[in-house]
Amino acid sequence: MANFVQLVILGLLAGGVYVAVGVGFGLVWGVLNIVNLAHGGLVIVGGYITWQLFTALHLDPFLTLPVNAVALFVLGYALQRGVINRIIRAPLLFTFLLTFGLNLVIINILLLIFGSDFRSVTPTYSGQGLEFGSVVIPYVSLTSLGAALLLAAALAFILNRTRIGLAINAIAADRDAAQLVGIDLRHAYAVTFGLGAACAGVAGGLIAMIQAITPTAGEPYTLQAFVVVILGGLGRVSATVVGGLAFGLVEAFGQSIPGSGSVFANAIAFGLMVLVLVTRPQGLMGRLR
Amino acid sequence: MIATLDSNRRWRRAFLIVGGIIAAYALLAPLTSLDAAVSANVPLLADRLWFRIATYIAMFIVMATGWNIIGGITGYAAFGNVAFFGIGAYTTGMLIAKAKWPFLAALPFAPVVAALFAALVGLPLLRLRGHYFAVASLGVGVAVGELVQNIDYGGQPLFGGASGLFLPIDSIANRGLFFFYLMVAAAAISIAVTWWVLRSRFGYGLIAIRENEEAAAVLGVNTTAYKVAAFALAAALTGLAGGIFSQWNVFINQDNAFPIEYNVQMILMALLGGTGTVFGPAAGAILLQLLIQFLGGTLPISFDLPFVSETARPIVAQIILGLLLVGVVIFVPRGVIDFFGGRSRLSLSYLRRSLRETSL
Repeated sequence: MANFVQLVILGLLAGGVYVAVGVGFGLVWGVLNIVNLAHGGLVIVGGYITWQLFTALHLDPFLTLPVNAVALFVLGYALQRGVINRIIRAPLLFTFLLTFGLNLVIINILLLIFGSDFRSVTPTYSGQGLEFGSVVIPYVSLTSLGAALLLAAALAFILNRTRIGLAINAIAADRDAAQLVGIDLRHAYAVTFGLGAACAGVAGGLIAMIQAITPTAGEPYTLQAFVVVILGGLGRVSATVVGGLAFGLVEAFGQSIPGSGSVFANAIAFGLMVLVLVTRPQGLMGRLR
Repeated sequence: MIATLDSNRRWRRAFLIVGGIIAAYALLAPLTSLDAAVSANVPLLADRLWFRIATYIAMFIVMATGWNIIGGITGYAAFGNVAFFGIGAYTTGMLIAKAKWPFLAALPFAPVVAALFAALVGLPLLRLRGHYFAVASLGVGVAVGELVQNIDYGGQPLFGGASGLFLPIDSIANRGLFFFYLMVAAAAISIAVTWWVLRSRFGYGLIAIRENEEAAAVLGVNTTAYKVAAFALAAALTGLAGGIFSQWNVFINQDNAFPIEYNVQMILMALLGGTGTVFGPAAGAILLQLLIQFLGGTLPISFDLPFVSETARPIVAQIILGLLLVGVVIFVPRGVIDFFGGRSRLSLSYLRRSLRETSL
């Protein structure tokens, strides 16, 4: 029983990272109709910013998260404004290839700067945790989950309570009508992608705390973000939160299967995704449109 | 109008002649490495290295042309076709290494197994559209490689596991030459199949699905059967290339039989040359593969990139490849065949028009 409780807790805690990775990816997909294959690359850029600030300035890694968000927002805004906007009306294959190419460039620039060594962020409290009998809750995971939920809440606030957020929602609902009422599409698109990139940057900071990172460490997260968004349902931040936590649980239980459960992580994730897509295409929390 | 038509025809003829000469040279030059030719003092026109590169090029022609059937003609952006390459490689590899079959008996099973697998996963996957299909197929590509590496049977890795699968070294005379011509034959088959598809009732059905799936269904096209058949046909061709690769390379593992980057490379090749055409993907494969090898520094004719150290070179090559990808997607979305041989020749207004069509 304690084992079961521990698995549920670990799953939910791991889900925090997936929430953070998923919300930005889901926003870009839902509004811009782009499956952003560079998401994992942006995530790892965030990871390296956190690592750099932690190593050089000895900042607490959680305090670096706002820096990640701002830096990645600027990068994302520039990418969308300068590059992606130019093919936004092309068939989906083109956005796929374009973002894949951007990912290749990002990863290899990181390789040039940082090399392929493993880097990890280990604050003094990293090995410790709360203990309830046999159940242990690591501080880092707990705070990560909190930070991820805070990120999702902040994103939901921006989308639902601010002027630019409402503009983004309007575009998602009907692009042409949004343009007719005077929304500057180029700017709003760039802000959307910037927000998605900012979320990726925060996610990268969280990831750097729980695993050692290399420039290619972001690859799996692109795929997992996709699964998370599918699982929850496209179009709402809250749905992605549910999807991320659910994915964390599935992963925790999948890895606990006796025999080499952990090596099948991708196979389990994709099996799950295909199952959801075929049986419940609108996602766990989605509404049919 | 007549003048432009005329000049178009002249351009097309010029390209055909130049292409024919290059193809003839590429096909015949390797023969000068035969013992008979060497003893007759024919100058050596192609060495082992060129064989290897040319065989790779032919392999990518097969993959890009195969992808074109599902991605270009049917319009389903398959992102996991490397799964079929790996399945073909492992089918042939297992039959040779474990069942001790001769290579030529094992080879036909590669396309068959790959096609059966494609039909099996295609039935649920091809119900998905757009992004959903693309990423689900990408997932299949990743998952199959992972399964092949990790499946155990009775405590033993079934397919050689993480250490890979070693095939017995064949005793084929002039093996470099043999595999080069075998791969070229596969490339010729794939191009011939595409040519046939584009002229058949089947191909018209696929194009109808690409243009408007609901309308195609209303017109009486059995869309599910057509899509699955196209997917299986693409898989069969890709699997054939994998089967040849396994014996050619003698060693296969997850890294060389399921390389994720092949997924994107074959699509980029088809896109570069022009999707939905017969020769486009092949032209794209030749161009891109030569460029990749050139940037990677494996071609005999090469150069030093300025300001780049020897160790950083592969990384810079990847960056250039990424920027190229971005550039192609933005500026020549209809492929280089269209760019050079189509309505408008090399001109700035062509680039500007492409940009205007797709940008915000």
